[in-house]
Amino acid sequence: MRLAILIRNALVRALEWRARHFSDPVDRLQFLRRNIDAPGKAASWSAFGAASRSIAGRSAHAFIIATVLALVSAWCWTLSRHGKASSEIHGRLPGSARAVTRRAGRHGPPGTGKVWVVQTTPQFDLYSNGLRVEEQYATSTAPRRYVAFVRNGPISRVPSRASPVASAVEGEWRSAPAGIVYHTTESHWAPFEKEQNQSLRRAGEGLLEYVQRRHSYHFVIDRFGRVFRIVREGDYANHAGNSIWADQVWIYINLNQSFFGVAFEARSQPARNESTVNAAQIYAGRILTDMLRARYGIAASNCVAHAQVSVNPANFGVGYHLDWAANLPFAQLGLPDNYKLPLASVNLFGFEPPAAMLAAGLPSVKQGLLASQAELRADAGASGQPLERYRAKLQERYRDAIRALRGKGAYQEYN
Amino acid sequence: MNATNLQTQTPTALGLDVGTSRIVAAQRHDKDIQFDTQLNAFVTIPFSKLTQGVLKKERIPHLVQDSEITVYGDESERFANLFHRETRRPMLRGILNPDEAGSLTLVRQIVALVMGEGDGQGKRVCYSIPAAPLGANEEVNEHEASLKSMLSKMGYDAHAISEGLAVVYGEMESSNYTGIGISCGGGLCNVCLAYLSVPVFSFSIPKAGDFIDAGVAQLRGEPATRIRTIKEESFHFNGHFVNKIHQALSTYYEDMIQALVAALKDQFASVQNMPKLNRPIPLVLSGGSVMPPGFRDRFEKSLREIELPVAIAEVRMASNPMVSTARGALVAALSEL
Repeated sequence: MRLAILIRNALVRALEWRARHFSDPVDRLQFLRRNIDAPGKAASWSAFGAASRSIAGRSAHAFIIATVLALVSAWCWTLSRHGKASSEIHGRLPGSARAVTRRAGRHGPPGTGKVWVVQTTPQFDLYSNGLRVEEQYATSTAPRRYVAFVRNGPISRVPSRASPVASAVEGEWRSAPAGIVYHTTESHWAPFEKEQNQSLRRAGEGLLEYVQRRHSYHFVIDRFGRVFRIVREGDYANHAGNSIWADQVWIYINLNQSFFGVAFEARSQPARNESTVNAAQIYAGRILTDMLRARYGIAASNCVAHAQVSVNPANFGVGYHLDWAANLPFAQLGLPDNYKLPLASVNLFGFEPPAAMLAAGLPSVKQGLLASQAELRADAGASGQPLERYRAKLQERYRDAIRALRGKGAYQEYN
Repeated sequence: MNATNLQTQTPTALGLDVGTSRIVAAQRHDKDIQFDTQLNAFVTIPFSKLTQGVLKKERIPHLVQDSEITVYGDESERFANLFHRETRRPMLRGILNPDEAGSLTLVRQIVALVMGEGDGQGKRVCYSIPAAPLGANEEVNEHEASLKSMLSKMGYDAHAISEGLAVVYGEMESSNYTGIGISCGGGLCNVCLAYLSVPVFSFSIPKAGDFIDAGVAQLRGEPATRIRTIKEESFHFNGHFVNKIHQALSTYYEDMIQALVAALKDQFASVQNMPKLNRPIPLVLSGGSVMPPGFRDRFEKSLREIELPVAIAEVRMASNPMVSTARGALVAALSEL
């Protein structure tokens, strides 16, 4: 009897030890339930205890054999589970902060340290880099889902043969966010002065209620530097409308689904020449950017201003929305000067910049416009076509891509 | 206005916390768990075509029955304030309220709000049920069967899980699902001791949030809804009470904690086949009634004053006390796929 108890305890300790090798909570629970239930398909501890005592009573030798078999079985099962791709195992229930942190640690982009959730309460989430995200206005839409196109395929250049769009739609479905679009809310704007406290607070609260109703952004940074969650990170938000961006590998069309929307409570053209955003907002923007990049492995080149990505398909114009067309403090947000990046809408889809943008000062989206126009001219020359004909072909590709997205149920209609 | 026609990934399993005061659904979407919560409450207002039209236009969940409109879910609280009425509950002390006709219909409507309308397509859902209070086994069995039938009709493959065990599954991964999970909700406090994911004992006591609200309301002559609002917004356990309502809340909370600790001690004393625990175990507190600042410290103080046959390594709050049960139910559902 004593031997049986010793063996049973050894078995339990072995199970505990093996269970700790499962980082995913679901896998761990599955493992424990299968092995604990095994002796008698027990639904409770008393049943399990009775089953194992019964075994011990019949034969200690039989129990030893059963124990060894159970351990071998547990070991094999563990190995078979670990044989699967680790991403699957880690991804079984990665809603936990630990799972996300581990993933970010493996794949986080250069320049971003680990950032993890320190505390979660109904009122706020606190992160290890000091970021505190207020939850009072948090809402949800539907899970993120979008198509990313391969840039180094036919879509990156107009091929000599006709109908390149059939290949262009061969992108991939994704649910992980690819970037961040920075916005200004363009909301009611009171001078940032002590005497204006009441107006400032009232304006902020009104704004938060408004954007919550419209699911306008994922995050809003108010004028006191507080970060408010609006739409949950796993969902899309209605922040970018018709928009285009591309990195070195992928092209993203309409960024509501693929990019986070981060809005500063600010106006593009404030009265009396006050600064658009203050130091508290910039600092909050920096640690929010760090958190999102660390947790989701977002490339720095995919952190851009709304004006850089916004387009108007009706007239093929760039910059339908002009927030952060200039003066987005990329450096203070821990990012390179992304204003220098060419605009994918211009050199990949033939959109044209308005004169106002080209007349803007620096640092501004003008830098990227000039770069993308230079690329466009070079590409047109390489294809042996006049610039205007080449541009018209690119625009036709955009229309075809939109039709293809609609066909796949991957297109949001904007009215 | 944007309209989306995007394809969305369909979750394969769901966790559902059917609590007396709230219903919470947990669904896994790719890399995140999404929680949807609604108040498990309703309010009735007189029928008029104008009101019905406004409700439809504003997409406020409601049912029209005879000469009444029933607004349910989160919106019920707003309408209760608007019409100066108390919200009512389809559930009472953890089970379907036998005094409210059509309580199951209302629970179904609220469940549809958090889980989504439409066919469940055979998806596995684990839903929480309370542990039976002393002498009330049959009522819980009937409650469990009613919910199972309701979810099956909605197209789900439904399985019940004890609320306390769900807390263990939701919060005690780090201790191999060994420890004590406590969920203090609106109607009941549910407790479960589990060892390596296997429940050793589960029980509930009928002293929880509603007990506190009703007691203080009676003592101070205030509506229970107002007491609940004060409790949720400003009550804390720091020993300095700003008014008599806070003082009364403290008294009733104390009563609840003492009852919980005493019941825990009794249960340990009466359990047979207690596993041999070779190390101290954690205790996790969850549910809406543990939210006041200082609750954990106050509970731990009371717990340390009694002698339990097992050593408690730590008393900690759940990572998100409002959704722990739903999270644990989701973990259970996924583990059975």
